[in-house]
Amino acid sequence: MNENAGPAGTPLLHVDRVTVRFGGLVAVSELDLDVPEGSIISLIGPNGAGKTTAFNCVSGIYAPSSGSVRFRGKRLERAFTQGTILRALAVGLLTGLLFAAAAVDVDRLWMAVVKRGMITGEPFTMAGAMERLRGYFRSELAIDQMAGKWRVVSADGSDVLAIKRDLGEAKLVRDALQAKVTARRTGPGTIPDATDLNQRDIGAAPSVVLPPVKEEVLDRLAAGKSRIRWRGWLGLFSGMLLGIAGTLAVWQRGRRSPHVVARAGISRTFQNIRLFSSMSVLENVLVGLDRTIPGGVFSMLLRTPKNRRDEAEARIKARAALDFVGLSGDANRIAGELPYGDQRRLEIARALATGAKLILLDEPAAGMNPSEAGDLAGLVERIRDRGVTVLLIEHHMNVVMRVSDRIAVLDHGTKIAEGTPAEVRRDEKVIEAYLGGEG
Amino acid sequence: MATNRAPRTSSPPAPSAGPWDFLAERWELVTLAVLAIAPLVIPALGGALGGQVTNLFIYCILALALNVMVGYTGLVHLGIASFFGIGAYCLAILTVPMYPFQIGFLAAAVIAVLVTAGTGLALGAPTLRLRGDYLAIVTLGFGEVVKVTLRNLEQITGGMKGLNPVPPPGAGVTLAGIDLGKEFAIDPRWFYYLALLSLAGVVLAMRRLENSRLGRALVAVREDELAAQAMGISATKVKLSAFAMSSAVAGLAGCLYAASLSTTADPNAYDFNRSIMVLCAVILGGLGSIPGTLLGVAILVGFDTVLAPWADSWIQQMNINPKGLSYLSFSGWRLAIFGVALVLVMRYRPEGLIPSRRLAAELHEGGAGS
Repeated sequence: MNENAGPAGTPLLHVDRVTVRFGGLVAVSELDLDVPEGSIISLIGPNGAGKTTAFNCVSGIYAPSSGSVRFRGKRLERAFTQGTILRALAVGLLTGLLFAAAAVDVDRLWMAVVKRGMITGEPFTMAGAMERLRGYFRSELAIDQMAGKWRVVSADGSDVLAIKRDLGEAKLVRDALQAKVTARRTGPGTIPDATDLNQRDIGAAPSVVLPPVKEEVLDRLAAGKSRIRWRGWLGLFSGMLLGIAGTLAVWQRGRRSPHVVARAGISRTFQNIRLFSSMSVLENVLVGLDRTIPGGVFSMLLRTPKNRRDEAEARIKARAALDFVGLSGDANRIAGELPYGDQRRLEIARALATGAKLILLDEPAAGMNPSEAGDLAGLVERIRDRGVTVLLIEHHMNVVMRVSDRIAVLDHGTKIAEGTPAEVRRDEKVIEAYLGGEG
Repeated sequence: MATNRAPRTSSPPAPSAGPWDFLAERWELVTLAVLAIAPLVIPALGGALGGQVTNLFIYCILALALNVMVGYTGLVHLGIASFFGIGAYCLAILTVPMYPFQIGFLAAAVIAVLVTAGTGLALGAPTLRLRGDYLAIVTLGFGEVVKVTLRNLEQITGGMKGLNPVPPPGAGVTLAGIDLGKEFAIDPRWFYYLALLSLAGVVLAMRRLENSRLGRALVAVREDELAAQAMGISATKVKLSAFAMSSAVAGLAGCLYAASLSTTADPNAYDFNRSIMVLCAVILGGLGSIPGTLLGVAILVGFDTVLAPWADSWIQQMNINPKGLSYLSFSGWRLAIFGVALVLVMRYRPEGLIPSRRLAAELHEGGAGS
């Protein structure tokens, strides 16, 4: 019947031993249901039998406690793709960088890299900035300016070691003191690393008068050499871990979302009508068409010719959908103002507009008189004739018996009978469930 | 059969006739034309008044930004001023002479808008699962966090001093023999036109948003998130877009603000008061309605920054209040008038002064009966 049909023999929708529990209450118990393509299957049963729960389970609002729902042989869940991993990594990297920025004190980093590049009067270069960045992470001494004088300071600016009037002299003092600090690091009890060995001025202390610097300050500077670096790594790793884990956790929880199910090709209406009641009738259908309209934010803002064409096309499609359910004269009315029966029709038009292959109708004839219900039965048949499979919950037995290919009867969450309308009508258990048994 | 039913006659929109209908339909163009001509006709706009009106335009942009979140999408946002602030500081960092970047206004504004949009996404992504009051608390907290962060990152943001001087747009650019930077610094009308142009652009973008696929999705999510999802709309993505758009436009307003003041001012300029003021303007004017939002800002902010100082100086001139008693000065009654106005509007027009067609329908649903 349809070019998109799944493998031969596979029903369009396959509900396999689905159980839904809310706390201790079992709403649906071990439900099996097959919906072949191009058919109309009805789900009937007394109030509270679990019909709407079963619908919610199929349309992704509830997750089944056990069992599975397959559409064209596939589970209705978002697949784990490369995009998922990439997104998790990107979010992880962002949180990692944020944590690292906090851990290495981004404020002082900025001072060391940007501000100290602006005070010496030399042009600001990328190479200079990178040099200062490296210096900050190695806790090297740096030159700072205050009140017109040059100061030799520790990387984070918290220790002032010398104050000079002349920039050149200050630079010499910085280098000499740095050599002393580095030498201390290579002394007993410390482990030299690659960055110590290629220090510029090691061993060749220039002939400047060094200011008196307390030994313990030098010790502290030597000991704290890699502290900022480690803090940075720690921040980066913990942030990345948190970001990746968080993204994956959120992905896992949002796996079975109604929109994933809708995009797979299942659409539905609701028992208590859920229209966008302050939008116009046409706009409601346009929301249903949302997935079929191409174009992103920028084509929308620029209102490109293609965007205009797509919009116009969508409006034509929406009007056709309204025509189909017999609401073409009401396109510009506010949806909430429509009479009850028309609201139900509009919901059907909106659901059809999504291009769904399976449509779940939850009591579409509720509150209608027999003649309106008859119209509705005709509408359901015409939906089937369009190649859209229908799964129906309905209490109007005239509608159910007229349109259904097969009927499943639920009672207290359990399927008590399934068959053609004629079979179900004769079934003892069904009569008992509806009319009450003896004793 | 359904197809056989006669199509019900729907009430067609009344044919427009007469100058008032023209004004009502083309209000944006008419207002834009009046505002564009005004500085050429009214000399006062070349002085302090021009600066105040420019400020008004910037607030309008900010309110339209908030309207995307609160009006269209129905997400309560109490921290819009923080994005305003992030935009202002971004622009300042990229343009002030004390930092090496000093790229022009335009490039800096583009980067600032991208950064605020990114920040909006970063705030939105983890908080989207919250609804109503909880989201309000998160955004309120975020506003305070941003304010305190701006204050504490003293090396970057200048702490309580703020960053200044932010050079005027077009500094160093000479166009057709005119030194733009100098003109901007001397004549407030240049800023007036820049802000007006930006506002017109934002209004146009909002109009297009309203009638687009994304705009419909925003409203659909506001009205019924579950039904929207059942239509295949990813509520997460739609809300994230709302966050990003709202933040980006607020960032643009922040850029204009910092450039027009030529300083970022201190972080307290971006606190909760400003957020709530803008929110009040949006609610007063009409949630989800562009003309309503603009009118709301014109009334509330215009009252605060234009009318109140003017009335005060008038009272001073007339020598009514020689002793400087606070209850005889106009601004002493400022907040009282503010409050009474809001109460009256909420009592008699809960959907705002110029309600959006959609929201008015929603609020009167109970009364109309269907």
